[in-house]
Amino acid sequence: MDGIFDIYLVEALVNGLLFGGVLALLSLGLNLIFGVVDVIWICYAELVMFGMYTMYWLNGVYEIHILLSALAAIGVVAILGLLVHVLVIAPILGSPPINQLLATGGLLFFFQSVATLMWGIEFKNLGLRLPILEYNEMYFSYARLLAFGVALTGMVALYLFLTRTYIGAAIRAISQDREIMVLMGVDSRKVYWVTALVGGGLAGLASCLLVLQYDVHPFVGITFGPITFIICVLGGLGNMLGGFIGAFILSLIISVGGLYAELEWGYVMAFVFFIVMMFIRPQGLLGNK
Amino acid sequence: MSFAKTLKGLGLGFATAAALTLAAQAQAKEIKVGVIYDYTGPLAAGGSSLQALGAKIMIDYFNSKGGVEGYKINAIYSDAQSKPEIAINEAVRLIEQEKVDMLLGFYSSAQCVPVSAKVDALKKFMWITTCISPAVLKDRHLEYVFRPQPHGGMFGTASPDFVAHYAKSKLGTDPKDLRVAIIHEDGPYGSGVAAGNEAGSKTHGFKIVLKEGYAATAPDLSSLVTKLKRARPDVIFHTGYNPDITLFLRQSRELGLRWKALIGHGAGYGVPDKLYATFGDDANYIYNVDPVSIWLVDPKTLAAGLGEVTQMVGAEYKKAHPDVKAFSAHVGMAASNTYTFFDNVLPRAIKNHGGFTPDALRQAAAATDIPVGGTLMGYGVKFQPKDASMSGQNERAAPVVVQYIDGKVKIVWPVPLQTVDPVMPLPKTSPYFK
Repeated sequence: MDGIFDIYLVEALVNGLLFGGVLALLSLGLNLIFGVVDVIWICYAELVMFGMYTMYWLNGVYEIHILLSALAAIGVVAILGLLVHVLVIAPILGSPPINQLLATGGLLFFFQSVATLMWGIEFKNLGLRLPILEYNEMYFSYARLLAFGVALTGMVALYLFLTRTYIGAAIRAISQDREIMVLMGVDSRKVYWVTALVGGGLAGLASCLLVLQYDVHPFVGITFGPITFIICVLGGLGNMLGGFIGAFILSLIISVGGLYAELEWGYVMAFVFFIVMMFIRPQGLLGNK
Repeated sequence: MSFAKTLKGLGLGFATAAALTLAAQAQAKEIKVGVIYDYTGPLAAGGSSLQALGAKIMIDYFNSKGGVEGYKINAIYSDAQSKPEIAINEAVRLIEQEKVDMLLGFYSSAQCVPVSAKVDALKKFMWITTCISPAVLKDRHLEYVFRPQPHGGMFGTASPDFVAHYAKSKLGTDPKDLRVAIIHEDGPYGSGVAAGNEAGSKTHGFKIVLKEGYAATAPDLSSLVTKLKRARPDVIFHTGYNPDITLFLRQSRELGLRWKALIGHGAGYGVPDKLYATFGDDANYIYNVDPVSIWLVDPKTLAAGLGEVTQMVGAEYKKAHPDVKAFSAHVGMAASNTYTFFDNVLPRAIKNHGGFTPDALRQAAAATDIPVGGTLMGYGVKFQPKDASMSGQNERAAPVVVQYIDGKVKIVWPVPLQTVDPVMPLPKTSPYFK
């Protein structure tokens, strides 16, 4: 085996961090929605799939500029997020959590089937070949670097939105105490709508970056859905900073573990870490008891 | 009631009974076949839907000719949804509720392994057109399961044989100094082929610098790519579905992995149109091990009439996929194996064994003896006997190695079937050039 501090380790660390950026971006929206609405959207990764298809059709097929396509994808998924809330979540807000889980789980299969019927089962992609970034014999993914930068920016923007705007303050207040805030005159319905819009928009943002690295197909959510959910639980469901940190911890374990053992052992190590953490801190890394 | 009226009533009764009997006979003149492939889920686009198309083209072809020995083929198409548990449920549903006479199809080895055991335990007949894992048949002594396809071990040894043949002349390396890596999805399909790769590599004395499996749904393969960079293989043997192979190729390019030859083994690598659509010219010079594409077989080497059948399959394929540029071997593979059953096995079962009960089909399949040139893919068919370790496996099947060159599929191995001299090592124009 090469030395412990070889360039391959550095490359694995950096790639782990960059992969963490992708996962962090995915977990942001899901955490926001859970933190405010208190419902887990099992179908969150399927919203990302719709965003990826929007990018594919606008940029890949109709050759609309990639930035305009990205804006459209964010808008489409944001509206889809709002529709999910209004049509499916809002009517069952008072139901037991298991019913809510089943509803969003059912929505997952509905979305997969709709995508299959509308666009078929073929794998589609933008056909982009991004530049190769090389530094000192180490190589880094351009798309992931972009995703990492956008994830950081997204986190800061979300933080500013939640702390510097009136509606952001209302969202935080609702997430802290749903009953009291309604008594104090906050229109919880409007706050939920904004949350669903922003959560959907974040899924749209993630889709714009994922479509640069992955093919889109109706079942692409299977690849990201479970790990996104695990990250949110690890960080503390509803805690955005916790999810953000959890994403980087898991991705680094996967990346470095996969370098020194078999790739699958990297995932085993990450999930063992998750299970151990659930025993030590069942509320998650930064979650409240 | 008058006598005349009674007679009239009796006559009507007899006529009705006769009509009903005739209708029942007409209805009975069919063989009910359960066809299982993945029409949805990730495996569908990875090749399963193309396999399903090949089987359907052939079933429609026989029905258009009036069926087999007067029996119409009533095919019930079923979607395994890329999930083994669904495949098992569908197989049982087709057998127990739809009362099918037999099952045909199966793309995924992960489905084939449990389904074959279940179907055999139910003493029903199963004709496998596609899945290749040795684990489906090895040491299981299944009585009702037959596979005209080459198995994964054959796939796995074909590529090292090919590389060993050209190591000195093309790569300038003695086989004993050649560094090879074996990577594979970790299901029965990938593991079976990888075991063949390893055995073949050991036979030729290659240095195996890395052998590793991964989950086909893994969202990130960058650690594997980095490890491959560290291991510096000259040749990579890869077995995967889709989207894992596109993720691997994309991340290999981004992370600077280089090789002299990359050899895929079916599934995702068997759809050249998709590879070119995704990677453009970067897909050039990739090798793939698969049963030969029926469109690459010289019709003159086949039994009379098979060339026309191949043309018909191509025309129907084109109708279903007007934009297709390079015919995928997947369609021809299922078409050929389905053709073999309906053209050879089923007629003998009906004529020599009294019908198409599972036992009649089993006996007819076991007695199959088709010489080389007797199938659309060119190879013959003879199944290993019940006491053999691979009972039910076609011992006359063999895969070929093809190379994708400028969007076209060329046979490079074995030498007698070669349509082009292999481009090896990878030329400088490729981003993967080493």
